[in-house]
Amino acid sequence: MADIAKPRRFGRINLEIRDDMPMWQQSLAFLAGVAAGLAVSVLILIASGVGPGALINEFVVFIFTSPKNISAVLVQAGPLIIVGLSAGIAFKARFWNIGIEGQVIFGAIGATLVAINNIGPEFLRLPMMALFAALGGMLWIILPALLKLRLQINEIITTLLMNYIAFNFLLHLLYGPWQDPVSSFPHSQQFESFERLAPLGWQSLNMSLLIAAILVVFCFWFMVKSRFGFQLNFVHSNARMAKALGVRVAVLTLAAALLSGALSGLAGFAISAGIESRMTQSFFIGYGFSGILIAFLARNNPLGIVAVAILVATLMIAGQSLQVFYQIPFAMVQLIQAIIVICVAASEFFIRHRMRWVD
Amino acid sequence: MEFLVNWLANIPGFALPFALGALGLIICEKSGVLNLGAEGFLLIGAMAGAGAVLTFGGYPLLALAMAALASALLSLVFAVLVILLRVNQVISGLTIVFLAQGLTSLIALKQGWTNKAFTGLSSLDLGPLSDIPFIGPIVFSQDLIVYLTVGLFFLAVHLMGRTNAGLRLRAVGENPDAADAAGINVTAYRFVAVLIGALLLGLAGGYLTVVVSKIWVDGLTGGRGWIAIALVIFARWRIWRALGGAVLFGCIEALIPRVAAIGVQVPQYFVLMTPYVVTFAVMVWTSLSSNTASDEPGALGRPFVREERH
Repeated sequence: MADIAKPRRFGRINLEIRDDMPMWQQSLAFLAGVAAGLAVSVLILIASGVGPGALINEFVVFIFTSPKNISAVLVQAGPLIIVGLSAGIAFKARFWNIGIEGQVIFGAIGATLVAINNIGPEFLRLPMMALFAALGGMLWIILPALLKLRLQINEIITTLLMNYIAFNFLLHLLYGPWQDPVSSFPHSQQFESFERLAPLGWQSLNMSLLIAAILVVFCFWFMVKSRFGFQLNFVHSNARMAKALGVRVAVLTLAAALLSGALSGLAGFAISAGIESRMTQSFFIGYGFSGILIAFLARNNPLGIVAVAILVATLMIAGQSLQVFYQIPFAMVQLIQAIIVICVAASEFFIRHRMRWVD
Repeated sequence: MEFLVNWLANIPGFALPFALGALGLIICEKSGVLNLGAEGFLLIGAMAGAGAVLTFGGYPLLALAMAALASALLSLVFAVLVILLRVNQVISGLTIVFLAQGLTSLIALKQGWTNKAFTGLSSLDLGPLSDIPFIGPIVFSQDLIVYLTVGLFFLAVHLMGRTNAGLRLRAVGENPDAADAAGINVTAYRFVAVLIGALLLGLAGGYLTVVVSKIWVDGLTGGRGWIAIALVIFARWRIWRALGGAVLFGCIEALIPRVAAIGVQVPQYFVLMTPYVVTFAVMVWTSLSSNTASDEPGALGRPFVREERH
């Protein structure tokens, strides 16, 4: 009882808004967030029965010591970079494009349409497929974009609904008119050799990586250097002010959304013509969230997107081997990505706030 | 006639997950927290419900409670992110969906719950009442949760509209700065609202497995969480309108298997698209008829930062 009578002084934590933080501290907080996310993921993996030794083996030794696996990571990184750019450019315009998977599907549908119907001469086949893929992606975003601009309809939900519609349409094609006539399996017939992205000559690397690189350079110029990018930055930080100062916000948003759709469509082309050589039922799975995550972690910066995409690609390739050897479902990769986002988002709290102990 | 009775009798079961989900979302969003994680809360509830039935070997009501609890547990992560750490609510909500997709798939596979059928909760038999022609099968042959949900709606309308706590909750969502100045603990109200919302969403998810499908497969909820979010916009954050919207969607979903059963030839995958196309159409219609008064909370999606008050 005597304890309670004595006045005990507790300090408390006072929260303050931090105006700015040196870049190196921000990077440190970011890396701490990623590290914390990976640490939690490692604990979950160990709890699901993958030993620590096996983890080091799968993630570090296996991936980084064999050229075959390094190239597998890079091949996987190609489409991831493209969807990351797609998400980044939409988010820059404050357009929440959650429909990346639907646009990836329609990109692949566009490419496959060209391949199956033999549209254009052989030497023009791949460019035609890319063009139709970009158009397919744009087709699948234009309605949500126009509805947002004309009627203020929330694009998060409309783009997401478009995913489900696209997926069912894909199944309709694969179980119906586009079913493989050779094997009767529900996937499209295999692309001819001139309909596939050519190998670059080292391991399994192919042209899709080159396409991704060109798109990165284009987006870097577009988002960072061009007048469009300058205005987009303006819209991103204060759309009202931008509008008041004569920036045509609606046109800009529409352009960014269409570009985002075209990029997602091209990712669908890169996956079907570069990795799978046909259109399958599940080629698009995971690209939607990964694109959003990559853009979020890279803060919509095209060069940052490349770095994060390679990290995610590493996770995906390691995840594939975990799936084969340890019966860990591929969803684990998604779980790890979500955990990393949570940890990095939490770390941003410490970038924006300062906690001080007050007596 | 038989077609009509069959159809009408099936509506409550299909409408219920939408109704409970939309109610949970309204309560959460009335406090100013935009909850895009609905699909994730449904998933975790559905998986936990199935897992509980398989683990305990029955006890569907207990399983439904576990479903609600599992979802509430996950919502703690969401609440800490958006309320305490002030992370962007869109990013947080999406992350919760993907976290739940990964988590449910991993846990269910590791526990061996995937693709395993079980006996869940069956409909009540109210004796002579259930035997009344026409009305019996439609009104008196539902399961317990359907009746419970109707009660929950009355309770929610009362609590939100006619109690001090409800008023404060709405104040927090409308203008957190003013609510804070009036001495209301904004953080606490938002936390509780997120938790209650997640409990209801989890129950809705549990209903999908324990009562409807009686089996768990990955991604079982099939976008119902997103449809519930659209329903809330359609209902303009009004509780009774949300129930009306849920029943409308229940009608459509209940119609899909009937149409196939009477032999109407429509390509299967176009039929499966209907709920999403209808949701899309409803969003457009809602926006076009924007003259109806909306109860959208003024501070929806905006984190409350006392230090930045001005």
